Amino acid sequence: MRSAFSEKLFYGLNYAILAAAGLSCLLPLLHLVSLSLSGKTAVMSGFVGIWPIDATFESYALLFQGTPVVRAMLNNVTITAFGVLYSMIFTILAAYPLSRKVFFGRRYLTLAIVFTMLFQGGLIPSYLVVKQLGLIDSYWALWLPGLVSTFNMLIMRTFFENIPEELDEAARMDGCTEWRLLLRIYLPLSLPMLATIGLFYGVSFWNSFFNVLIYMNSPAKYNLTVLIQQMVQSQTILQEFNTMSQLEEVNVTPEGMKAAGIMVMILPMLIVYPLLQKYFVKGVMIGAVKG
Amino acid sequence: MQPNHAVAAEAKKPDSGANRRPFWRNRAFRQNVPLWTMFLPVVAFYLIFKYTPMFGLIIAFKNYTFYEGILGSQWVGLDNFDNLFTQAQSVQIIRNTLMLSVLTVFVGFPFPILLAILLNEVRRAWFKRMIQTLVYLPHFFSWVVVGGIVVTLFSQSGIVNGLSTRLFGGEPFAYLYSEWAWISIFLGSGIWKEAGFSAIIYLAALTVIEPSLYEAASIDGAGKWRQMWHVTLPGLSSTIVVMLILAMGRVMEVGFDQVYVLQNPIVSNVSEVISTFIYTAGLQGGQFSLTAALGLFESLVGFVLVVLTNAVAKRFNKQLW
Repeated sequence: MRSAFSEKLFYGLNYAILAAAGLSCLLPLLHLVSLSLSGKTAVMSGFVGIWPIDATFESYALLFQGTPVVRAMLNNVTITAFGVLYSMIFTILAAYPLSRKVFFGRRYLTLAIVFTMLFQGGLIPSYLVVKQLGLIDSYWALWLPGLVSTFNMLIMRTFFENIPEELDEAARMDGCTEWRLLLRIYLPLSLPMLATIGLFYGVSFWNSFFNVLIYMNSPAKYNLTVLIQQMVQSQTILQEFNTMSQLEEVNVTPEGMKAAGIMVMILPMLIVYPLLQKYFVKGVMIGAVKG
Repeated sequence: MQPNHAVAAEAKKPDSGANRRPFWRNRAFRQNVPLWTMFLPVVAFYLIFKYTPMFGLIIAFKNYTFYEGILGSQWVGLDNFDNLFTQAQSVQIIRNTLMLSVLTVFVGFPFPILLAILLNEVRRAWFKRMIQTLVYLPHFFSWVVVGGIVVTLFSQSGIVNGLSTRLFGGEPFAYLYSEWAWISIFLGSGIWKEAGFSAIIYLAALTVIEPSLYEAASIDGAGKWRQMWHVTLPGLSSTIVVMLILAMGRVMEVGFDQVYVLQNPIVSNVSEVISTFIYTAGLQGGQFSLTAALGLFESLVGFVLVVLTNAVAKRFNKQLW
């Protein structure tokens, strides 16, 4: 109250900086949306800002008809759905025993697991293991090596450890077995945390790029990330359609196609993200404060 | 791993009460059977996919061929390392990796802290929530998406050049093909993608700071800036140290995805790093032993860095383990 001016200055600056940070995340997306929706002449003349000019859906139409984008998207769904399922099961199977004080060897096992965060065999030996197991060109090469993310597992373990001990004392008195305890008491109490970790796994499987690039040989098994990356970088697919579009007088540019491809990849995320936001903030905080 | 010390201490208690011991032991054993049934698949996972690759690193000391396999291949001692550290190309790759990652750690590090402190001072809930929603978002995009956005914005026909030529005149500038501009874009895109999400951890730490400390500081005449310096930052210090240790551990691994989606042949002098080299020379070029040696070097330096930083942090009682 004494230094009202400096306080006002502070808050003004604060809001301005934060608004700039927020806009820096929003504007590029709006620009991409309008690129993907704008007509050919508008894109080529470079006049497209954050609203579409001569709005048309032709970029999307061409993307869905002329490229394997639909198949890649279905692959994404397969990879993500099964990946999250397997990873959640195994992460729970790792975190729950490690959170129990009676578990023999708990301390050394935790150390052995944390060690894998600090030192890794690296890409080449990991690739050779996957190859030896005959997993090349199968989605198991994506699911198995990423079964447990140690970081997610530690968050989960900490969460389980914080569930009051009286609860499982009481359950045990009533004759509850260890499995029942996990399924009927620990998991239902952990839903926000499970949603968070499920989201983390979901995002990483949805976005998986490098593993698909190295382990999948047949293009039919590529996911969206790899397909879009090839479109953005090599431009061969785009050039094909560019010549085609010139022949057929289609109202589409390579830039518009790229932008449409990127939008297709992030749109599902943009839909799910606001629904899950409250969970993951809570979840990260649980991991952060106690971890 | 502080919880574990507590456990060890508690585990000793039953031993002292000697007459109850058989009962405890029996119960503990009965409880351990289902726990170990759950845990065995996890043990298998860690052994196969985490520890076997560590063992597989011995190919760094061999001349690996597909026909002879990991065990059958010939030992060559330190030849692979000799090759690596004498070739100009690989020395440059190691230098690039170090340069980009050290820059990433030190240039990028303050941003999430700053963002968290600023967000913490916002009194309007709707504004805070809106900004948070926006700045967390890029974390959930893959590098392919971010790379696509960056290339779209900064290409010669992109909006950045479009605006600057229209406002200031002049020729479009090839941002992605100039080395210094490429490095700036590399750093900037990393900060853009992760700063918001990393801020969550600091925001969590900020909620633990006693409000009375601010009141006391305010009564003593501290303005907003001095409160930040004397209350907020000290309150964050242990989180900052932990995050710094974790960041140090990643110093050697510049992520593959980010470099791969942003790089182009023209800037390869600064953009070829260990992970992209392992991909092109190792997986695509078949030089498994040479690149495994590079990978081992990378892992070892990373490991030593974490242990060292942790030892330093220990002196200030802020260690990770």
